[in-house]
Amino acid sequence: MSDLSRRDFLKVLRTCLLYVSGALAAGGLLRFLDPGEQPPTRTEFNLGPAAAYAPGSRTVLAQVPAVLLHTSAGFKALSLTCTHLGCSLGGKSEGFACACHGSRFDREGKSIRGPAREQLAVLHTEVTAEGDLRLIKES
Amino acid sequence: MRIALTLAAGLLLLSLAFTWWQQSPRGEPVELTPTLSGQPEYCLTCHGDVPQISAAHALATFGCVSCHGGERLALDADVAHSSMRGGANPSDLALVEDSCGGGDCHSGSEADDRHHIQRVLTSVQSTYAGAIASMRYSFGAQPDLEARYGIAAVSDEETSTGIHSLAAFEPWNESHPLVQEFGENCLTCHLNATPREGEAFARSTGCASCHLTGEHTFSTAIPYAQCNACHNRGNYDLRTMTFVERGDEAVKRVDDYYQPIAQFTRCEYTLDCIDCHTRAEVMGDGDLHADKQSIQYIQCKTCHGTLTDLPHTRTLTDPDDIAFRLAFLNPVVDLQLGDTILVTEAGEPLWNTRVLPDGTYEMTGKASKQVFTFRPVMGTACQQNPDEQQSQYCHECHAVER
Repeated sequence: MSDLSRRDFLKVLRTCLLYVSGALAAGGLLRFLDPGEQPPTRTEFNLGPAAAYAPGSRTVLAQVPAVLLHTSAGFKALSLTCTHLGCSLGGKSEGFACACHGSRFDREGKSIRGPAREQLAVLHTEVTAEGDLRLIKES
Repeated sequence: MRIALTLAAGLLLLSLAFTWWQQSPRGEPVELTPTLSGQPEYCLTCHGDVPQISAAHALATFGCVSCHGGERLALDADVAHSSMRGGANPSDLALVEDSCGGGDCHSGSEADDRHHIQRVLTSVQSTYAGAIASMRYSFGAQPDLEARYGIAAVSDEETSTGIHSLAAFEPWNESHPLVQEFGENCLTCHLNATPREGEAFARSTGCASCHLTGEHTFSTAIPYAQCNACHNRGNYDLRTMTFVERGDEAVKRVDDYYQPIAQFTRCEYTLDCIDCHTRAEVMGDGDLHADKQSIQYIQCKTCHGTLTDLPHTRTLTDPDDIAFRLAFLNPVVDLQLGDTILVTEAGEPLWNTRVLPDGTYEMTGKASKQVFTFRPVMGTACQQNPDEQQSQYCHECHAVER
């Protein structure tokens, strides 16, 4: 192995510096231009076997948040996000209530006391070929 | 050339390294995506110990940026705070529309009773129109007591008082030196002004003047001490146009509540100000008013009636009655459909009252939560003249001895 001359060492160092700085600058530029991770616009929730939800049952899904109704017409999920400003709703015997501003909704999600005017959003549900229940939330 | 290129590359590397080090988070960032904006923010990385401002402004719903502004993704304090609105107080009246406005928030329609910002901006607590007119009239700057000026220019195109606008009061353009001094020394209690120095005068500006009742705590349960920061802090010496701080130290509540020379009945100093004075009186009704007298209308008879008339009442049959919304925000009573409450002559609900089956009344203190029972004047031995309902007439018999 031959000895590296001082001139060659500086040459290698300079070349390395140029490449590294160039790569970092390019990386920085790309990172600057990249808007970053966007919040998901569609979230799927696998709720497990559909058979686990008895007919007539009402199940609060805190992770969504939503309430899952198993009616004679099938599964129906109501969002538990208030249609006024988006606060989470809590269960009441006659329906749902907003802890922020006092809006009330009946058991079917219809607004019965303001300030919320619109009824609760219905979220899409489907039963997969394997018999699992899936809920899809668009945001 | 090569040396210059090498130096430039070295400098670039150094600056990149410095920037990387400066921007690197110190610990894991704490992310919150409020449902209202749907955009992640990292404010809780440093401010996780700040209490939620109120139940109506749930952190998970509003986050921080909706109200405070700022750079939601920045982890450097200077950058994060660089575009905040109003420092720690985004409710300052100069910023309130951006911070607290919006049709579903505090600048909605009058029909929905969500025009809070319009009400405050036009209220006498904000305009100080009566005091300004009175001073200018007293020193010959205007020929009558008509309200022409407010602390800031404000307009009300749909006024029902006949006052469509007020121009901004500019004391430095006044010719009389005492009006100039009034402008400089006597305007520190309106909602735009920075308060006087001293613990007794401590308050914020804008909405926070009244509603900030603790550290990052907003409330509609406003104790009388909050009102005292402006309304019982001393007197103005009109000879010198200077403020004279009260020098007494109150031992009894009656001494703490009001000016020493005044007379008061027991309810006037036992209750908190907001137990009697309604939202329209305190926060305005959306119209410009010439002075305090033209917006203040609560009298003793509002709750007690007269010898010939019982006070006004309303049985709550509409789930959207404003009484329910107010009781929800300050749940000192559990109002139910079918309850009968007292209402003012203008129809404002005294939602913290209830008509009891025996015909007497009950009031729960909005701030103190104390329960008071009282009865109507009708049927008692009261010697009032039903036409004389100003407080001084009631004080003749019912004022307490100091």
